[in-house]
Amino acid sequence: MLKSTYDALKANIGRRSFLKMAAIATAAIATSALANDGITRSATEQEIKNPFPGSENIKTICTACSVGCGIIAEVQNGVWVRQEVAQDHPISLGGHCCKGADMIDMVRSEVRLKHPMVKEGGKWKRLSWDEALDRISAKLKSAHEKFGADSAMFLGSAKMSTEQAYYFRKFAAMYGTNNIDHQARI
Amino acid sequence: MANTWGYGAMTNSLGDIQNAKAIIIFGANPAVNHPVGFQHFLKAKERNNAKIIVVDPVFTKTAAKADYYCRLRPGTDIPFMYGMLHLIFKNGWHDKNFIKDRVYAMDEVMEEAKKWNPKKVEDVTGVPADKLIQITRLYAQSTPGTLIWAMGLTQHSIGSSNTRLAPILQLALGNMGEEGGGTNILRGHDNVQGATDMCCLSHTLPGYYGLSDGSWKYFASSWGVDYDWLKGRFHTKEWMNKKGFTLSRWWAGVLDGKNGNDKIHNGGTNLKNLIVMGNGITSIAQQAKVKEGLDNLDMLVLCDPFVNEAAILTDKQDDVFILPAATQFETSGSVTATNRAAQWRNKVIEPMYESKADQDIMFELAKRLGFYEQLTAGMKIKENKKDFQWPEDATDEIARIIKTIGLTGWTAKRLKKHSENWHMFDEISGRGYGEMKGEYYGLPWPCWTEKHSGSPILYNINRSVAEGGMGFRNRFGLEHDGVDLLAGKGSAPKGSANIDGYPEITKDNIEEVLGIKLTADEKRRIGKNWKVDTSNIIAEKCMQRGMAPYGNAKARAKVWTFPDPIPLHRESLHSARPDLVKEYPSYADKGNHYRVDTQYISKQTEKDWSKEFPINLITGRLVNLNGAGMENRASKYLAALSPEMFCNINPNLAGIHGIRDGSMMWIHSPEGTKIKVKAKYSYAVSEDRVWIPFHFAGHFQGEDLSHKYPNGTKPYAVGESANTVTNYGYDIVTQIPETKGGLCRIEFA
Repeated sequence: MLKSTYDALKANIGRRSFLKMAAIATAAIATSALANDGITRSATEQEIKNPFPGSENIKTICTACSVGCGIIAEVQNGVWVRQEVAQDHPISLGGHCCKGADMIDMVRSEVRLKHPMVKEGGKWKRLSWDEALDRISAKLKSAHEKFGADSAMFLGSAKMSTEQAYYFRKFAAMYGTNNIDHQARI
Repeated sequence: MANTWGYGAMTNSLGDIQNAKAIIIFGANPAVNHPVGFQHFLKAKERNNAKIIVVDPVFTKTAAKADYYCRLRPGTDIPFMYGMLHLIFKNGWHDKNFIKDRVYAMDEVMEEAKKWNPKKVEDVTGVPADKLIQITRLYAQSTPGTLIWAMGLTQHSIGSSNTRLAPILQLALGNMGEEGGGTNILRGHDNVQGATDMCCLSHTLPGYYGLSDGSWKYFASSWGVDYDWLKGRFHTKEWMNKKGFTLSRWWAGVLDGKNGNDKIHNGGTNLKNLIVMGNGITSIAQQAKVKEGLDNLDMLVLCDPFVNEAAILTDKQDDVFILPAATQFETSGSVTATNRAAQWRNKVIEPMYESKADQDIMFELAKRLGFYEQLTAGMKIKENKKDFQWPEDATDEIARIIKTIGLTGWTAKRLKKHSENWHMFDEISGRGYGEMKGEYYGLPWPCWTEKHSGSPILYNINRSVAEGGMGFRNRFGLEHDGVDLLAGKGSAPKGSANIDGYPEITKDNIEEVLGIKLTADEKRRIGKNWKVDTSNIIAEKCMQRGMAPYGNAKARAKVWTFPDPIPLHRESLHSARPDLVKEYPSYADKGNHYRVDTQYISKQTEKDWSKEFPINLITGRLVNLNGAGMENRASKYLAALSPEMFCNINPNLAGIHGIRDGSMMWIHSPEGTKIKVKAKYSYAVSEDRVWIPFHFAGHFQGEDLSHKYPNGTKPYAVGESANTVTNYGYDIVTQIPETKGGLCRIEFA
C-alpha cells in the first residue's frame, strides 16, 4: 500500500482498527487463491457489459490546456467512475494526452486538500469554513480601513471558468483595487 | 498583437491549420504542450504536404516532426524574422497589394530589414545563412503559411516587440485573414483566453475596456451599482485609473523598495494581504523574491484543490490560510479555447470533501465584506429577477455587457447547445451541420448578435460579416502623420454596403457610414458607440449592411506609443554576447512600470554577466505536467512519468564540468540563487545552453521542504522550481518575465 494511502486511512480509523482491517484483507487475498470460495466470483456477462448500472454519461471539457478536448465522464451515484475519450468531438477527434486521460485521477487524487486549514505558530491547524472566512474577511476589512484597498493583491486564474474569472475581476473592483492579475502575464 | 490590428488573440483555429501549406513555429512546442491539438499540424503535413519549420533554441519534440529546424540563440527572434523580411523584400516575395490597402508603415519595416542580411543574422542568431535563405524561400513561396508561437516569444524583455514582428511578417506575405494563414498563438492553460477576455488583469476591466472614467461608469451602470459607491471603495479616485501590480512583480509590492528592492508606487501602502485563487505562484520568475514577498505578508490566502506550494515555500508562521477549492469538474461554466471559441463545461460531480467552488468562496467573502448585493446585482438585471442562477445568469450578464470583443451572441443557452451537439461540426472549418448549420463551433468571438455565426478567422474579407468576415479594427484613429489609417478601396468584407475603409461605428456617424436612417425610437435607445451600445442596434444594423461594428482599417506595423515604434532587436538583460550588448543595448530603466520601478540598461550593464555565467538557461514544459505542476504531480500516474526535477544538458558540456548522466548538479543564477537537480544527458540542447522544466516545487536551493506539507497532502513528485534560478528581466510593455533569455553557471554537486 502506498504510504499516503496508509496515512489517509490512519488519520480516520486509528492504528488498531487499521490492523484489523489489514488482517481481514490478508485473509481474503489468501483464500481467494482457491476457486469458488464464496468470497469472489466471476463477473456475469451483463456486469462486464455494464459494470456501472444506472450510471450517466456527462459531456464535459478537459481542464489541462487550451485545446479544449472533449471528455465523456461516467457518473454513478454521484461518483465519477470512468472516463472515456470523445470520439465525435470536432477538435480532439477522440484524442487524449496523458494529462487529459488523467482528469478522473486528478479529481479523485488522495492528496487533495480536504478541508480549510490555517498555519498558526508554525503549525497547520484544521478549521471550519465559517471560521476561515470570518477571519480572512476581518483582516481584509481592517486593512481596507487602515491602509486602503491597495494593500491587497488578488491573483486569479486561467484555470477558472470565464464566469468565475469575470466575477473575480469584479470582486477586486468592488474591494477597491486594480491589484489583480493572472497567468496571462507569464 | 492587439496593437497591430485590434485584437490580441489566435486569429485562426487548430482545425484551420490543416489548410496551411507551410507552418512556421517560433518558441512553441505543441507536440508536448498541446499534443491533441498537434494532430491538426500532422494532418496538414500528411494531407496537404505542408512543410513544418521550427525555430527554437532547443531541439524539441515538435522539431523532431519538422522538415526544417533552426537552432536559434535565445532572445534573437527579431533578428531572425528581420532576416526573413530582408530576403522577402529583396526578392519581391511580399504581397504588394495587401500591404498597400491593409497595412500602415510597412516602409519603415523595410528600412530596418535592410540591415539584417543573412551573414549578419547568422552572427547574431547562430542560424547558418544558407539555412535562413532556404527556409525563407520555402515559407514565402508556400502560401498560405501559418505562424505559430507561444511563450518562447513572449517571455523576454523584448517580448512585446517579438509579438509585433511576427504579425508583421505575416502581413508582409499577405497571410492574414486567409484560411490556412494567420498568427496562431497557442495558449497554455485551458482558459487563458477566457480569463484574459474577462481581464483578470491589472490594466483593464473585463472585455479590455481599460481603466478610464468612461469605462468605470459603463461598468458601474451595467453592474447595477452606484458609480460613487464604487469610487468610494478605492483609496482615492485616481487609483481607479492606475494599472495595478502584476503576477510577475507583486512581491516587489510587499517588499516596498527596502533592502535594495525596486521602488513601488501603490496608493500609499505596500501590499499586506495576498489572495490567490487557482494560481501556481511557484512557477513565476525569481522564486527567492517570491518567497521573500510571501514571508513579509500580513496574510496569505490560497484557494486550490491541492496545497498551493506557496504555503510550503514560505517561512511565514501565522495567518497562512489554505482553502479547498473545487476543481472545474465540480462546478459548471464556459471555457474559451485558444481559438476564441467557447465550450460549456458541465459539472461532473458535486465538490468532494469540504471543497467549495470558486464563486461560492467569492460570494461568502463578499457577504462578510458587505458588498454581496452589489457583486451579484448584474446577474438579475436582464430579466429583473429576485435571485440568480449560477453560472447561466453570469454568462448572460457577460453577453449583455461585453461588446468590444463581440460576446453578445454568447448566451448560456447557445453555448450549451453547441457543446451538446459537438458532433455536428466540421473539424477543419468548424462549420455546423443540420440543426447547427450557419454557426461555427463554439461561436468564436466576435459573435456580434444572438444570431451571429461566430468568426473563426479574424480579418477575413472573403466572407460577409454575418458569416464571420471582417477587416482590421479601426482602433488607432483615422490618420497618423497625415497617412490615412482606414483600409483601401476594395478591401472591405464580402457583401459590404461600403466597399471602402470606414471608421468604427458610433451613434453620431451610423447614418452616414452605413447609409441608413434610424427611427426616432432607435435614436432614443442606441448607445454612444458600438462598444457601449447595450441596445445592440449598432451591431444589428451593421449585420444588415455587411459591415463590422469596429470599422475597417489598416493594420499598423508601427506603434507610435511604444518605446520602439518599429520592433528593434535588443539583447537580453543577461546576454552571452557582451559584444552585441554594446551594439543592441536594452531600454532605459522604466519608473513606475505597473507600480514598480524596473531596471533595463542598468541591470544589463551592471557587469559582463557572461564571464561568470556563460551558459544560456531555458525553461520549458513536459508532456505530463502543466503550469506549476500542482495538479499533475498530485496524480500518482503522471508523477511517475517524471518523478524528479532534472536538467537537459549536452554531454560535452557536462563532461567539462565532470557531471555524469544521472548525477546531481548545481545551477547558479546571476541573482545569487541556486538549484540542485539531476543531470540528464541530451543532444536536444547544444553545448552553450541547458534546459529545465518549470513544473516542480517543494525543494528550495537544495533543501527539501516536504516536511512542511500538511499530513496527507504531499504530491507524488516534488523538486526544485526552475524559477528559483530564472533571472531578473521583464518586458518593457507587459512586465512578462524574461524566463527564456537568461544565463547561469553550472557545477557538479
